[in-house]
Amino acid sequence: MQFPILTFLIVLPIAGAILLLFVRDGERNAPLIRNVALVVSVLVFGETLLLWSRFNPGSGDFQFVERHAWIPSFGISYFVGVDGISLLLLVLTGFLTPLALLSSWESVHKKMKAFCVFILLLESAMMGVFVSLDLFLFYVFWDAMLIPMYFLIGIWGYDRRVYAAVKFILYTMTGSVLMLVAILGLAYLHNTATGRYSFDLLAMYDLQVPPAAQMWFFLAFALAFAIKVPIFPFHTWLPDAHVEAPTAGSVILAGVLLKMGTYGLVRFAFPLFPTAAALFAPYLAALAVVSIIYGALVAMVQPDMKKLVAYSSVSHLGFVVLGIAAMNTQGVQGAVYQMLNHGVSTGGLFLIVGMLSDRRHTRLIAEYGGLKKVVPHLVAAFMIVTLSSIGLPGLNGFVGEFLILLGAFRWNPRVAALAATGVVLSATYMLWMFQRVNYGPVTNEKNAVLRDLQPREWAVLIPIVAIAVLMGVLPNLFLRPIEPSVERMLDQVHRHGVRAQLGSSAGIRPNPKPRIPNPERSE
Amino acid sequence: MSLASLNAIVPMACVTAAAIAAMTAEAFRVPGERMPIGPLGVIGLIGAAIASVALWNHHASSFGVVVADNFGLFVTGILVVIGLLSLALSAPTIEREGLPQGEYYAMLLFAVAGMMLMATATDLIVIFLALELLSLAVYVLTGIRRDSPAATEAAFKYFLLGAFSSAFFLYGIAFTYGLTGSTRLDRVGSLIAAQAMAPTPMQLLAVGLLFVGFAFKVSAVPFHMWTPDAYEGAPPPVTGFMSTGVKAAAFAAFVRVFLAAFEPLRADWWAIAWIVAAATMIVGTVVGVVQDNVKRMLAYSSIAHGGYVLLAIVSASDVGKGAVLFYLLSYAVANVGAFGVIGLLETAERPNDRLRDFAGLWNQHPVLAALMTIFLLSLGGFPPSAGFIAKWYVFSAAVKSGYYWLAIIGVLSSVVSVFFYLRIVVMMYMEDSERPVQLPAVPPIAAAALIVSAILVFYLGVLPAPVLEWAAASISTIF
Repeated sequence: MQFPILTFLIVLPIAGAILLLFVRDGERNAPLIRNVALVVSVLVFGETLLLWSRFNPGSGDFQFVERHAWIPSFGISYFVGVDGISLLLLVLTGFLTPLALLSSWESVHKKMKAFCVFILLLESAMMGVFVSLDLFLFYVFWDAMLIPMYFLIGIWGYDRRVYAAVKFILYTMTGSVLMLVAILGLAYLHNTATGRYSFDLLAMYDLQVPPAAQMWFFLAFALAFAIKVPIFPFHTWLPDAHVEAPTAGSVILAGVLLKMGTYGLVRFAFPLFPTAAALFAPYLAALAVVSIIYGALVAMVQPDMKKLVAYSSVSHLGFVVLGIAAMNTQGVQGAVYQMLNHGVSTGGLFLIVGMLSDRRHTRLIAEYGGLKKVVPHLVAAFMIVTLSSIGLPGLNGFVGEFLILLGAFRWNPRVAALAATGVVLSATYMLWMFQRVNYGPVTNEKNAVLRDLQPREWAVLIPIVAIAVLMGVLPNLFLRPIEPSVERMLDQVHRHGVRAQLGSSAGIRPNPKPRIPNPERSE
Repeated sequence: MSLASLNAIVPMACVTAAAIAAMTAEAFRVPGERMPIGPLGVIGLIGAAIASVALWNHHASSFGVVVADNFGLFVTGILVVIGLLSLALSAPTIEREGLPQGEYYAMLLFAVAGMMLMATATDLIVIFLALELLSLAVYVLTGIRRDSPAATEAAFKYFLLGAFSSAFFLYGIAFTYGLTGSTRLDRVGSLIAAQAMAPTPMQLLAVGLLFVGFAFKVSAVPFHMWTPDAYEGAPPPVTGFMSTGVKAAAFAAFVRVFLAAFEPLRADWWAIAWIVAAATMIVGTVVGVVQDNVKRMLAYSSIAHGGYVLLAIVSASDVGKGAVLFYLLSYAVANVGAFGVIGLLETAERPNDRLRDFAGLWNQHPVLAALMTIFLLSLGGFPPSAGFIAKWYVFSAAVKSGYYWLAIIGVLSSVVSVFFYLRIVVMMYMEDSERPVQLPAVPPIAAAALIVSAILVFYLGVLPAPVLEWAAASISTIF
């Protein structure tokens, strides 16, 4: 039997959390607790790297598949596997969790044990979301993930943390329970078609869902994912949650949780309901463009650095959704790549903002100024991460945005043109913020005595910067495993989408938009 | 008549024997003497459990009016779990309040016996007898704190409205008898089926009156008014017991009467049941949001949970019937646990049941706070807890029968309910108490019961397959 590496990925953080439960909480044990949690999360990261090294990048199929019956009477199984799309998201999760733990080394003062337990449980649930190939299992992890995040925001957050935590959980749940109804509807359709229940994603891909049902199901799935991404106008929970969360929470929230929304679109909403997806893609793209521009404009006027970064996430994830809506190779590849980029660069930005606010206990841009002379190393890292977030060629952000815009252009040049303004806007708000914080004279004497990076902070920032450069210089290293899976997914969407349209007297798309044929697909 | 024909009543006989023993023991107890009366009840309940296991798949029948089919035995099993947990959680309250030990346990056990009878009865008159047996015992338990005005008021309200609903129920039985000449469910069913082509007003009246009677007992909207008062006034372990046990028994009989005997008239009652289910879910959750008293909040939550079970009944499929059983079990485990925690927070001076009293519980008693959180998250339907699987099962029944809107109302109302469960969690974890409450020590027996409940919550949430299969098997034998 093959070593169950994916199960191990889910179980290892839980095991670490259970281990921690047996350690007595208290000041004296805090270093021990931190170190145990850190070691566990580093081990998990190592395991994701092992997974990557064993992964066959030439294949677009699911690998390391494990399947065990769970609730056999309903065809629910513990069914996990990984393909190129989820592989790197797992690596990203494994990468960011230790950094999040390290970043909270000194900023978390109370209840260290519970904090580490929740972070590890959260990591396990996130891994579960990305590896689940059973809709029921996916939903279990999707919902289970909310609880640790809720506690992280609500206990260790800033002033309005309770409000933000409750808003976060209620918003997300509202979307996801409707998705639950759609999942049940799908299982029921499978039952009528084949005589048995199933929640198996691969079986669902082959299921012919009637177009009318596709519309409703797609809307339910898309709503759940749109809230999670979040796309305008479902984004209002995000600034609250991001701003009030502790640094570690923000890093994981921005770095991984938001990706679940876009991952869900790629993995579930589009391939399961291709006809409806084709119909709704233009609307989704329109909302994505609104998110890009609106997010950027709102980010520009924020006085609070954390809020600025939060709104920049809305804008950046708009790009990701646009790439997915374009549904061609470049768009989706770019979208997956951009998910990773955003995790690295926005995660990095939150870490840096967290370091500044640890030192000064404020996040207001106006409180800073002239930091370049005081903390040169910190500002250097800040610079690189800022540029990577803007999308400077040579750093990671450029590759993703370029691919997405290329894909969008092939789909609809006007949309691409509108979206491209987001690139300009992002340069504006990020650089303006950077300039106000770091250049000029030191206006506030409190800023004159700030410490520069500590060894622990070096350990947090060096990996981020290194990855940002690596992803910018060697994008193929990361794109190679993504490509076959994206191709398989697109093939799935287009083949089924076309078949479903032919099968339903072609009357469901009142205004069919001409699609540029995909030369890659003809091979 | 051979002795074997008594087999079906062995489980409730065990419990009744324990109840009588408890009463006798109390009569011989010198005031102030401590007697292990609780363990008597445990023996009786374990006897009932063993009998149920032995009767499984045997379909034993006694006197033609009590049938120990797998459905009834599954509910008996749920009642044993509720009874055992409640016994364990009651001990500290009895001790602290100086309640009459023997009477308390005797009433609790009589109530359990009545519930078991109700779950296995196949005759309307026997169902009524069982209903009265359990109701009378529960009225007494509600008001057992005789020096507390709130408890007396609660018991009196409960008694008046309960008696009122019993009258409805009895009247419904009378109409049914007038129509069919029988009170046995199987005969009623076949005669109704023969006449079902064109339902007469009499039939509808009979169905309607029985429905109202049941709706009172399961506190379905608009017959839920007594619930918050009764649940608030009763001692918390009693509330935990009656909010789960009475519901389990009443829903079991509900399923038998409406999905077996009156199944042919489903076309006439499903719309009413649909509306009642939707209203129960909505009112239970929305009104629960504004409560400041945790007991009242959980009372409204239990109303809403009744709505989810009704949703499964409306769906009326095999999935729905299995869902009723699984839901009752998982709800019972979590709700008894939640009220158990509330009971442990009570002190002789004050009930500590306001929302504010939970502030900072995490700092004072992290284990109790964690257990309460587990129970609340299960009631809210979060994976990986029993409540999630139960809700999923109920909603899949609704979707399977095509009641998408009811399922959507259900899932959205469960989001609303999450809001108020989280209010308690927010208090426990995210607020500091302005005035630390002196917590009494947690007795080991109650702690053990809570931990068992929590383990059951996770067991049913993570490995539900065996229990789901029992639930499915138990409905296949009768309907």
